[in-house]
Amino acid sequence: MSNKQTEQELEHKVDEVEVEKSPSGLTIFWKEILKDKLAFISLMFLVLTSLGVFGISLILDQEEIIRVDLFALHEPPSIEFWLGTDYGGRDIFGQLIIGTRNSLAIGFLVTLLSGFIGIVFGVVSGYFGGHVDNVMMRILDFFMVLPNIMIIIVFVTIVPSYNVWSFSLVMTAFLWMGIARLIRSRALQEKELDYVQASRTLGSSHMKIIFTQVLPNITSLIVVTMTLNLAANIGIESGLSFLGFGFPESTPSLGTLLSYATNPTTLEHRWWIWVPAAVLILILMLAVRNVGEALKRAADARQRRA
Amino acid sequence: MWKFIVRRLIITMPQLILLSLIVFILASMMPGDALTGQIDPNISSEAIEEQREKLGWNNPWYVQYSDWVVGVAQGDFGQSYRFKMPVTDLIWDRMINTFWLSLISVFFIYALGIPMGIISGRWNDKLVDQIITGYTYLGFATPIFIFALVTLWVFGFHLGWFPTGGSVAPGLESGSMEYILSKIHHLLLPGLSIALIGLVGTVQYLRSEIVDTKQKDFIITARAKGAPEQRVYNRHIFRNSVLPIAAFFGYEITMLISGSIFVEQIYSYPGMGALFLESIVLRDYSVVTALVLLFGLAAILGALLSDIILSIVDPRIRIK
Amino acid sequence: MSKSLMGKYLFVLMLALFLVLAACGGDDEGAEDPSDDGSEGTEETEEQKEEEEEEAVDPEDQIYDIDDFSTAVSNDGDPIDGGSLNYGLVSDTVFEGTLNFNFYGGTPDFEILQWIDEALLSMDENYTYTQDGAATFEADQENNSITFTIRDDVQWHDGEELTAEDWVFSYEVIADPEYTGVRYGTAGFTLIEGIEQYREGETDSIPGIEIHDEKSFTINYERLTPSLLTGGVWTYALPKHIFGDIPVAEMEESDAVRQEPIGIGPFMVDSIVPGESVSLVKNENYWRGEPNLDEVTVRVINPSVVVQELETGGVDLVSSFPVDQYPENSQMENVEFLGQIDMAYTYIGFKLGDWDEEASKVNYMPDEMKMGDVELRRAMWYAVDNDTVGERFYNGLRWAGTTLIAPSHPDYHDDSIEVPTFEPEEAERILDEAGYEDVTGDGFRETPDGEELVINFASMSGGDVAEPIANYYVQSWQNVGLNVQLLDGRLHEFNSFYDRVGNGGNDDPDVDIYMGAWSVGSDVDPSGLYGSNAMFNFPRYESEENDRLLEEGISEEAFDVEYRQEVYSEWQEFMVEEIPVFPTLYRSELRPANLRVTNYNIEQGSGVYLHELGVTQEEPVVAE
Repeated sequence: MSNKQTEQELEHKVDEVEVEKSPSGLTIFWKEILKDKLAFISLMFLVLTSLGVFGISLILDQEEIIRVDLFALHEPPSIEFWLGTDYGGRDIFGQLIIGTRNSLAIGFLVTLLSGFIGIVFGVVSGYFGGHVDNVMMRILDFFMVLPNIMIIIVFVTIVPSYNVWSFSLVMTAFLWMGIARLIRSRALQEKELDYVQASRTLGSSHMKIIFTQVLPNITSLIVVTMTLNLAANIGIESGLSFLGFGFPESTPSLGTLLSYATNPTTLEHRWWIWVPAAVLILILMLAVRNVGEALKRAADARQRRA
Repeated sequence: MWKFIVRRLIITMPQLILLSLIVFILASMMPGDALTGQIDPNISSEAIEEQREKLGWNNPWYVQYSDWVVGVAQGDFGQSYRFKMPVTDLIWDRMINTFWLSLISVFFIYALGIPMGIISGRWNDKLVDQIITGYTYLGFATPIFIFALVTLWVFGFHLGWFPTGGSVAPGLESGSMEYILSKIHHLLLPGLSIALIGLVGTVQYLRSEIVDTKQKDFIITARAKGAPEQRVYNRHIFRNSVLPIAAFFGYEITMLISGSIFVEQIYSYPGMGALFLESIVLRDYSVVTALVLLFGLAAILGALLSDIILSIVDPRIRIK
Repeated sequence: MSKSLMGKYLFVLMLALFLVLAACGGDDEGAEDPSDDGSEGTEETEEQKEEEEEEAVDPEDQIYDIDDFSTAVSNDGDPIDGGSLNYGLVSDTVFEGTLNFNFYGGTPDFEILQWIDEALLSMDENYTYTQDGAATFEADQENNSITFTIRDDVQWHDGEELTAEDWVFSYEVIADPEYTGVRYGTAGFTLIEGIEQYREGETDSIPGIEIHDEKSFTINYERLTPSLLTGGVWTYALPKHIFGDIPVAEMEESDAVRQEPIGIGPFMVDSIVPGESVSLVKNENYWRGEPNLDEVTVRVINPSVVVQELETGGVDLVSSFPVDQYPENSQMENVEFLGQIDMAYTYIGFKLGDWDEEASKVNYMPDEMKMGDVELRRAMWYAVDNDTVGERFYNGLRWAGTTLIAPSHPDYHDDSIEVPTFEPEEAERILDEAGYEDVTGDGFRETPDGEELVINFASMSGGDVAEPIANYYVQSWQNVGLNVQLLDGRLHEFNSFYDRVGNGGNDDPDVDIYMGAWSVGSDVDPSGLYGSNAMFNFPRYESEENDRLLEEGISEEAFDVEYRQEVYSEWQEFMVEEIPVFPTLYRSELRPANLRVTNYNIEQGSGVYLHELGVTQEEPVVAE
């Protein structure tokens, strides 16, 4: 049930971002990605993997995958179990699919949620400036000081049960500051520009100015930052799960699969449990980064032209 | 300058107080306490309840908090129930360990990262640059915990070059040469694994900075004047590019601290990060609270340090 | 970008190669092990290996039997003069460093303490005090008193004589209201005459304790129970000449506990690296005789590196060995695996009531609880296959439990009692008969009243196979038509698990059944776990018969071992009928020892003491 919720939320959020984008920005991004083969392959890989894991996990019988089979413990890869089984006789391939889906879902959710909060916070603070900015920046400063991994760990021990959705909320609560800060400084610059001043004198409302003029102009910055944040968020999630403060085993993520490697027998003798997850994390991070870098170049190029 | 530092420090006070309050409330919401673990038929539950009462754990959180604040004001962060010793003494021991680990990591980050960045920037697009760029490319994508786990396994288990846990071999006289060498031996592997991932940022920054500077007018002028290539690099390019790196020192520390949680855990290195995780699991609240505060304080000081260094190395930036 | 592309591809390739190599490397090693067999090593181990080799099964499918393990090392060579030994304290946390029996809390500290201090009374294999220790005792049943006499040659590490006053001092400290530890509250203290007066400050010393001379004293109890002689008496002295001047509240943080701990044991503390290691040297004046070893180093090692440390000879002995790592390493050539039945059992508990805070006793109300029907509980016992769980997850090193007194107390464990075993048909039959039938047709049974029956199962996380085992039990119950669900759909971390199960008295009504484990004390008396006023009676079960049996087990008649055995047999049988909880697994503990170690026996009351422990060669035997 939570998954559906998640997906709906995802779609919803994606729509929102699309609306904000100016068409010219999108085309430039797209062109840049087409130009850069590596970025293109990476993007295709990301899209296909996401579609793949979300698609397959709809068909896959989750109950069946996390079902304990006493007579198939620690099976090495075979036709029946493509990537073998873990110490509960559970299929690793299935767990990898679901795990990737959960990790990606959290990555996307946290990125979008923290992006949303960060943008609103940053734009409001930067656009209005003055006292508003002052107060908001003090709040931001405070959050910046929080040792966020530790606070998230403390939080996770308090919340008795959490799903993809609530876990993302906890993470978001402590990870929105970076983007807010960035957006704010850009918004500060934007609002000094002539066109904003002009609209203001023409009597446009603040809302209108923010949505029709300030936001479209910082879209590229937003897209680039959020893409790079995606990689970081996937990393943080898997790190927390690795330490044992992420998801329970019944909700596998890439981090939980990796954490099995803390058992020396698994590390040495049962590579099929953790190596695929490790490689997948690596490739995902690289792919996201390739796309992000390409977008960044496109954004820079646009900036130069402008 | 001093005014600035003092003002910055004053601003941090309310931040720390708010942080302590939040941590305190969160801690009191955690299920169980340090005595919950005493589930042993040889221990009577009345005795445990009596201890709870005596330690004030049954008081509402605000009473506990005000008691705590009064203590902190006198430099007393309370007792660690688990270790039965003052939190300050306990953390002090661990802090020294974490300090050395951070120091050796920073050392490696700069000792390896700066040359790599310079080489990569000077000979950009040559093979050596491609190798370094390739490395940073991968390093960026590798989560520190995977890397630490693999290095521990390869160099600690398989090759047996390094110890696989602890901070010093037992039985050595504190302060003796052997003791120091053993300390360093225990630090090398965790320090290197933090550094090998941590240097990525430095290398990338330095490379792009040097590549940029190379095209700047004053360099071209210097070259046109016939200054030897080596001199151009040493006198003009490197100085301009390397100095800002120093400014990141403070932020680097903040990053190291969050990385230390993973590395200390994986290498069973008794530092603050490992202590934090243990204290969470065993509900040693006084330690958790003090550690979170300390990490927060370190982040504040790190940022402050960076700002100060930045203003020294780059006179254009004035601190207000 | 594209220029440095090649470099990037190169590195991706190298990384992939590295990972694959790493993985294969590990695998190869695993495969090599068996073929290494016939190589060196002492005769004894070769024999052992051959036995195992005959079966030639994949190590993971091998089933072991704890009875095949010896408790003593087979190396019977003469120990060399001196030598040093490394003891691995297996723990994933540091040790706390509260190095005094009167104050310690955690197991890691205990492992260090056993080298430097010892109980003044020894115990035999049934955990009953004997007269072989540093002190002897005489129980006077008529006057309800026990007189203790300390041997003449027992000294503290600093050369001071151990006196009766030191021992009595430990009673005075633990009973002191300012005392900061958790040792007070057991019968060994509360039964002492006049102890309450002392606690309330009316007297300066405990009225029930009379010191006769330097070496002997008598404790007068309100009544004697056999528990006193099976671990109830507090047998650790506290040196008054050191602690006498320290206020009780500050003792546990004093240097005498943390920096320079002292005891009467065979080894003395030389230096401590806080949390990590302790270096010990021999106590030449140890009362049983001068120890063989010159030095012992106790060092914390993480469970994940135990195998590595053993193979390289980094440690000779360890405090515990993770059973799940045994099959892969049973062939380790430089160590001998010792083993015995562990003093613990895992069990499934049924919540049958809650805790009455005011009366400080359980509030048994079977009619209001989902699990109140004993037939339902019995069916659930029949539905689970504990033997297979033990074989598959623990390679036979854990096995199906039968009664609530584990075989680690051989005199009291009654293995003749018939208990339910895995028979799903029987489970279904019982449920059908008791009226639990699926009337709605959703595949799950409803209560006899036709109401939906969802059973919430709380289980603890931690431990490698916690999750699959919990899920296995859930599946097993679902197979007989009972809708059992994991509480909140997940496992619970230790603290919150016990919080919700009822430690502290706030039982969570959402918990219907739970899986816990008890590590049992030296005293066989189970009333601390199942008595009607025991907080740890988490099922909150109570009955007159139960109270009567538990009471009789610690009555004066029970000083007669045979009588006590009968009582506890009856109790075990009664529990199998009533099923407030049922044991799932008994456990074994494995203790590998380097082949150079001699005079080592892990069995309780074996008569082999630590001062005899020795090594037969300077350097540890190392795996090839």
